[in-house]
Amino acid sequence: MNLALFIPEITLLVIAAIVILLDLFIEQKRWLAQVSISGLVIAGGVTIAMWGGSYPAIFNNMLAVDNFAIFFKMLFLGIAFLVILSSTDYVSKFSKFQGEYYALVLLATLGMMLMAATTNLIAIYIALELTSISLYALVGFLKDKKSTEASLKYLLLGAVASAVLLYGMALIFGFTGKTQLGEIAQVIQSLPPMTLLASPGLLLGIVLLVAGFGFKIAAVPFQMWVPDVYEGAPTPITAYLSVASKAAGFAVILRVFFSAFGLPVWLSLNWGLIFAALAAISMTVGNIIAIPQANIKRMLGYSSIAQAGYLMVGLAAMGMASAENILGQSGVLFFLASYAFTNMGAFIAIIAISNKLNSDLIEDYSGMGKRAPLLALALTLCLISLIGMPPAAGFMAKFYIFNAAIQNGLLWLVIIAVINSVVSAYYYLRVVKVMWLGEAASAEKVPSSGALRLALLLCCIGVLLLGVIPGYAIRLAQLAANIFAY
Amino acid sequence: MLTNYGYIGLFLIAVVLFTLFMVIIPIALRFLKIVPHNPNPIKNSTFECGMETIGRTWVQFNFHYYFYALIFLALDVLVVFLYPWAVNLRALGFASFVAVIILVAIILVGYVYAWKKKVLEWK
Amino acid sequence: MVIGLQHYLILSAILFSIGLYGVLAKRNAVIILMCIELMLNAVNITLVAFSRYVVPAMLTGQVFAIFVIVVAAAEAAVGLAIILAIYRGFEDIDVSKIDLLKW
Repeated sequence: MNLALFIPEITLLVIAAIVILLDLFIEQKRWLAQVSISGLVIAGGVTIAMWGGSYPAIFNNMLAVDNFAIFFKMLFLGIAFLVILSSTDYVSKFSKFQGEYYALVLLATLGMMLMAATTNLIAIYIALELTSISLYALVGFLKDKKSTEASLKYLLLGAVASAVLLYGMALIFGFTGKTQLGEIAQVIQSLPPMTLLASPGLLLGIVLLVAGFGFKIAAVPFQMWVPDVYEGAPTPITAYLSVASKAAGFAVILRVFFSAFGLPVWLSLNWGLIFAALAAISMTVGNIIAIPQANIKRMLGYSSIAQAGYLMVGLAAMGMASAENILGQSGVLFFLASYAFTNMGAFIAIIAISNKLNSDLIEDYSGMGKRAPLLALALTLCLISLIGMPPAAGFMAKFYIFNAAIQNGLLWLVIIAVINSVVSAYYYLRVVKVMWLGEAASAEKVPSSGALRLALLLCCIGVLLLGVIPGYAIRLAQLAANIFAY
Repeated sequence: MLTNYGYIGLFLIAVVLFTLFMVIIPIALRFLKIVPHNPNPIKNSTFECGMETIGRTWVQFNFHYYFYALIFLALDVLVVFLYPWAVNLRALGFASFVAVIILVAIILVGYVYAWKKKVLEWK
Repeated sequence: MVIGLQHYLILSAILFSIGLYGVLAKRNAVIILMCIELMLNAVNITLVAFSRYVVPAMLTGQVFAIFVIVVAAAEAAVGLAIILAIYRGFEDIDVSKIDLLKW
């Protein structure tokens, strides 16, 4: 076993422990953010250096070190970097607990990196819980009524979802006798179709897995927690949840469903159909309920449900696709990357604005175009990207994923998705309209710190780059998805 | 393929009917006077062994017990892993020893944290 | 009667359903947490039973169960901490009264 391949994860763990201990022994708390960021940079550097190589799996085949895992590790490290940058002001709201905050963010990132890399049911469960438990605590960090309530809801629903997921895993383990994804696939493929059909245990297990993972990616009907948690949680954590936690869920779904249940064809057609149905319901419900929302965090919560729907179009395409067609998978990866930049950007702008306003209501954003033109411009760009209009990244992402769906005969789903995109334009553009055309309540400028501005700038550059010259990023996504070609 | 979903639909109908049945039975029995209904104070009193409770049964505990329970829990969970390792110590070799040391070190960070946060002091 | 795999599976399915019912029907947050523990332990029974009857030579299921126990303990610890925070804010742990956030 080659421990060198595990260095990014080890770095994060060590840095998290150091941050906790440093917090106990030093007075200058601003060092904590710097230590955390340096840890992320080291881990990111090592991860990037590993890109493209073909390495053996480590820890008795528990963790794969392939391009897919490395792609997601880079994504998670980047998101965590932006989250910590954007938290540097926000932590003044809980200044006594800064060390714990940064350490928990790092540990959640560690959990997500493991989620993207694991190829074993046991390890998937542990990585998922490491992520979830860190996030439960982070959601309640403000310690006011709303935040603790959000945290309690997230904990109770999340624990039930993970119990359901676990039951599904137990059934799959019982049916195949294996926990290694590759071995499960071998057992399933070696059985005659009639045996598979006659044993509902496996199918029930797969359905329960969909339910458990559906909670993580916030798909309807497992979305009840999303708006409440998004509204109550500290805003950087809301951003983190909406982007990284969702991406981690999709990483696990892609790997599990492709490596374990990719063949025989009728099985993948079946779960492809399930995802297609979930996608249609998710986008419709998310977009329609988002329209009347008055709180922008809550609106973006519903919008993230809708975005999960668009992403699941890619999963459905993957289920319907023939063996060598990886458009669906690479579409999901590219969409996740562009969604990460877009939503992080939107939330960072919201953090900067609500730091001044102390309010998340859309009507209070009135006249932001005059009070803080740059922030308003960045938020507008991100919202345009969420609609899926050029030149922003969201356009290319949607284009790519819908193209994959059409090629695999899912025209009806794409029609629903396009109608939904049009509906969604209404509530996104409403925010834009309020910001630029509304009357400003006061002429006071909205200040923002250097770290926030840097994070916002990075996001906007990312959104524009992926939107205007997407070729390189698409190539990366294809290379990462290549492990799924049979 | 679709017939399989049909079976699931049948199961669903059966489940709904069964649940409705279970809910309706006691109501129906009560309605038909098969189940007697004559409450009295002794029957309604809380059934517990020993003395009757004075005040609410949900007594508040001192907050500090929770921290102690938490600290114990960390040790408890550590032992879950230590025990299988200790039983098979010779066969597992040096690598597992290192792994266990790392595990203990992680738990130790938690204890240092609790210590510095003055959780172990009983006021 | 010989106790076989299916008896364990039925037992665990019943326990899981009782836990799920409790989660949905109970209003005290601590009891909901206990019901979640019940669900996880039902899964543990399934895992160990499958491991014993399907792959008797391996200990996969038992190892899985140990990890589940540990994770459940961590979850309960965090859960109780959150419930304490709720009690400080709301003076109550009845989940039907914790309803600041709704659409």
